[in-house]
Amino acid sequence: MNALPLLGIIVAAPAIAGVLLLLLPSRARLLVRFTALLGAAIALSGSVVVAVRYDRLLGGFQMEERYPLVPKLGIFLRLAVDGWGVSLLLLTGIIIFAGVLATWTLKTREKEFFIYLLLLVAGVLGVFVSQDLFVFFLFYEIAVLPMYLLIGIWGSSHAVTEAGPFRYVWKVLDIGGREYAAMKLTLMLLVGSAFILVAMFALYVAAGSTSFDLEHLASVKYDRSLQLWAFPALWLGFGSLAGVFPFHTWSPDGHASAPTAVSMLHAGVLMKLGAFGIMRVGMVLLPEGAREWAPLVGGIAVVNVVYGALSAMSQKDLKYIIAYSSVSHMGIVMLGAATLTPMGWNGAVYQMFAHGIMTGLFFALVGLVYERAHTRHIPSMGGFAKIMPGVAAFFTLACLSSLGLPGTAGFVAELLVFVGAYQSAHSWWALPAILGAFITAVYVLRAVKTIFWGPGPAEKFVDLSDAKKTEWGALWILGAALVVFGVWPDLVLSFIDRATPDYLSAVLGGSK
Amino acid sequence: MMPSAADFQPLAIDFGVLALILSLILGDLLLGAKSGKILGLSAGLSLLVLLAATFNLNLNGSAFSGAYVGDAWSTFFKRLFLLSGGLAILGGLDHVSRHYPHRQTEFYLMVLSSVLGMTLLPGARDLILLVVCFELMGVPLFVLAAYAKTDDSQGRLRHAPEAALKLYLVGVASTALMLFGLSWIYGMSGTTSIDRLMAAANSPMITAGGVLVLAGLAFKIGAVPFHFWVADTYEGSNTPFVAFLAVAPKLAGFVALAAVLQRGLNASDLQRPMLIAMAAASIVIGNVLAITQTNVKRLLAFSGVGHIGLILLAFIPGDAPSMTMLLFYGAAYVVTNIGAFLVVEAIEDAEGDCSLQAFEGLIHRSPALAFAMLVFLLSLAGIPFVIGFWAKLYVFLAAWQAGLTWLVALGAVAAVVGLFYYMQVARAMFMKPARAEAAALPHRLGLTFAIAICLAGVIVLGVFPAPLLDQAERAAASFVLGPRQIAAF
Repeated sequence: MNALPLLGIIVAAPAIAGVLLLLLPSRARLLVRFTALLGAAIALSGSVVVAVRYDRLLGGFQMEERYPLVPKLGIFLRLAVDGWGVSLLLLTGIIIFAGVLATWTLKTREKEFFIYLLLLVAGVLGVFVSQDLFVFFLFYEIAVLPMYLLIGIWGSSHAVTEAGPFRYVWKVLDIGGREYAAMKLTLMLLVGSAFILVAMFALYVAAGSTSFDLEHLASVKYDRSLQLWAFPALWLGFGSLAGVFPFHTWSPDGHASAPTAVSMLHAGVLMKLGAFGIMRVGMVLLPEGAREWAPLVGGIAVVNVVYGALSAMSQKDLKYIIAYSSVSHMGIVMLGAATLTPMGWNGAVYQMFAHGIMTGLFFALVGLVYERAHTRHIPSMGGFAKIMPGVAAFFTLACLSSLGLPGTAGFVAELLVFVGAYQSAHSWWALPAILGAFITAVYVLRAVKTIFWGPGPAEKFVDLSDAKKTEWGALWILGAALVVFGVWPDLVLSFIDRATPDYLSAVLGGSK
Repeated sequence: MMPSAADFQPLAIDFGVLALILSLILGDLLLGAKSGKILGLSAGLSLLVLLAATFNLNLNGSAFSGAYVGDAWSTFFKRLFLLSGGLAILGGLDHVSRHYPHRQTEFYLMVLSSVLGMTLLPGARDLILLVVCFELMGVPLFVLAAYAKTDDSQGRLRHAPEAALKLYLVGVASTALMLFGLSWIYGMSGTTSIDRLMAAANSPMITAGGVLVLAGLAFKIGAVPFHFWVADTYEGSNTPFVAFLAVAPKLAGFVALAAVLQRGLNASDLQRPMLIAMAAASIVIGNVLAITQTNVKRLLAFSGVGHIGLILLAFIPGDAPSMTMLLFYGAAYVVTNIGAFLVVEAIEDAEGDCSLQAFEGLIHRSPALAFAMLVFLLSLAGIPFVIGFWAKLYVFLAAWQAGLTWLVALGAVAAVVGLFYYMQVARAMFMKPARAEAAALPHRLGLTFAIAICLAGVIVLGVFPAPLLDQAERAAASFVLGPRQIAAF
């Protein structure tokens, strides 16, 4: 059984399903959906098998596979997982499976949609398991690009409010709301990629131009000057995807415009790629840079938490609330990373996992509500719990996890990060972070109250229905995961905790 | 000295092209103008057969007292030129038979003559031979640019004479400039052998001659500030020819540049800053001017200027890794750009123009074509798993290793700008509804075949770049002289 290339299968399954879809006629609508679901199911079940097979006592990287890509430049497709990889694979598997279920009722150009979606997921899965910086970057790019078409074609329209010099360009090129969001997202993320690329070359050349292998790159001690400029390059590069302030502005527009499954994947998994990249590549490869810049990284993360929460509080559009709350929660991930403490790092990765599931659930629910009510304007909704009790229950659950209620996954993650922040060299970080959690409680509870529990529903909404068939599947998977991993965090945390000390000792190694 | 039979071994392919030209003339005489399409088809396929033959023949050797050399370098370029010629002819079959029914064979003859000049060029080790090959390559292009004349039945391409005149004036002026520079080089060194130039390469006159050659060739390849003819010529000329013009003559220009500057003069101190400035300016101006283009041909023209700037980076270090990059980029450029222009031809064929509006809703009208164009655009933009990504990557890597950090940063930013305007085309194809009156695209066999070859090349080499990289590395090693060889001259 050892010969089974499990990780390769997990990464390839969605891509192969995508290619199969290419060959199917777009009239075979049910077949298209089932093929997509099959690809997602293989990814999910593969991730579960990986989690079961992973030997927690042994730790380190397991299930290694190695294929030559461009041996001349030292590029190998080396796949392996450690504790972080296992948990994030699991997250991606859950989200994509639920995401396909949640978009089951999509009506326009489904075949294309699922092709891009599966391609994107293959990229995400690839990032989490690749142990070669170059391949890491390849998959990272694949994960970012399909987003342009996904948002541009299937997104929801709104007017562009952009002012300033760009206004001229938008006008000349006749760019509408979702196209604007898609373009903003793609361009900002690609500017980030350019930073990553430059830093990647710098590391490769400084390490002797022989190999892109992460282990090899981590074994080299880089010059202080290189560390000091390459770390911020990686931080900003990956940070643009992680929603680091002030490079988060693509995220509210992008998430608000994107179709349901894409918002789920993007906020749920893709933003984690950025944070994962900062920790796995930036901090581990450049420990000195990480230590020097940690105060700024943490400081900005605190801004993220509070600013994101305050922005979410002032929104009236449901999707914008969730989008800004993602910015705020990603701040908690970055804060955990910046603490450079075991607690903080465990919390950061666990927050990636918990927030991924939670925000996936949120966007699935928002999609359901929008699809029925055709509005995202919160003040015009009310009393929806009477007509869609199931949606209301799950929404409340997601909200409770969002504000960190004990018994939900969000609580475990936030607690870890707060404790980590307090233990770190900058104990004051804990205060604004907790303030952020408080503001979160204000805006999510207010939204829940207005939408589901307030007076109403208004007459035009009376006939709306609750979730249906496959949608229930998506909601139950995500909702159950929130509770299970909240009550029994060790299910995932034990994996994360197995990998954290190794990484952290690499980062702190030089200073002690 | 009489040439011996061994002299012809490195020239086998070129004689093949020559034989093809002669048989095409004969075929036209015997079969008449009506069979132009058949002749074109056989010419295009023959070029591909010759391309296949390069893999089976031993083309190495030296001919005519060392004036002509066959090695991995020249073979690599021969393949690229044969491929470009073959694709352009096959892709143009329908266009030519529909628009110029009475002068079809001449079109192919002109392309073939140009291809002959090109296949000869990379082996030339003598300045005079180099110039002759270069002109054999260049003169037919003037004719081809004007091929549509003004009498096109549907009233399009009325700018063809203007396009041709611009190309002609620029071409002649740049040739004069290049010849002038070469005369200085010859005057000071006393030799026309490229390999012996090195020994005499210290005089300021030779450096100045090198600068003139560089300027002359910069016109041909369309590098900033000598780029102004590019967009107008592309817009005005017939698209199958533009697919050829955008790629093959550019590569020929790079071959000549490599021969004179790299191998001959070993890029002196004066030319190096010029190269850096031209590369940086081409990258910036090409990409910026492409942003507001609404004609896809012009957009690709300006994006091409940006790509030329990236390729020019290879000449700044000028060592074996950077020449490898030049070769790899060249191959990527051939399949990607010809593919993209042939898709434009398919649209122009159906719509009568190639503005962004003509591309709207292509995904509904011809999903395969829209997908192909998307792949070509991604390759131009340098996105992973298509060949353009590796090409761009090698440029950046080679430039980084040569210490040109800021140019890498500039290129990376330009790549993002590039993505913006490539996305404009993607947006039109995928996100806009098709125009109400727009019908399904007519099926054109030759065009489809040529696009399919390009698409296969872009994807297959994008997933498995290693074999091509091996070839390019071997070719570069055979061309770039090691320090010991330089000392021997």
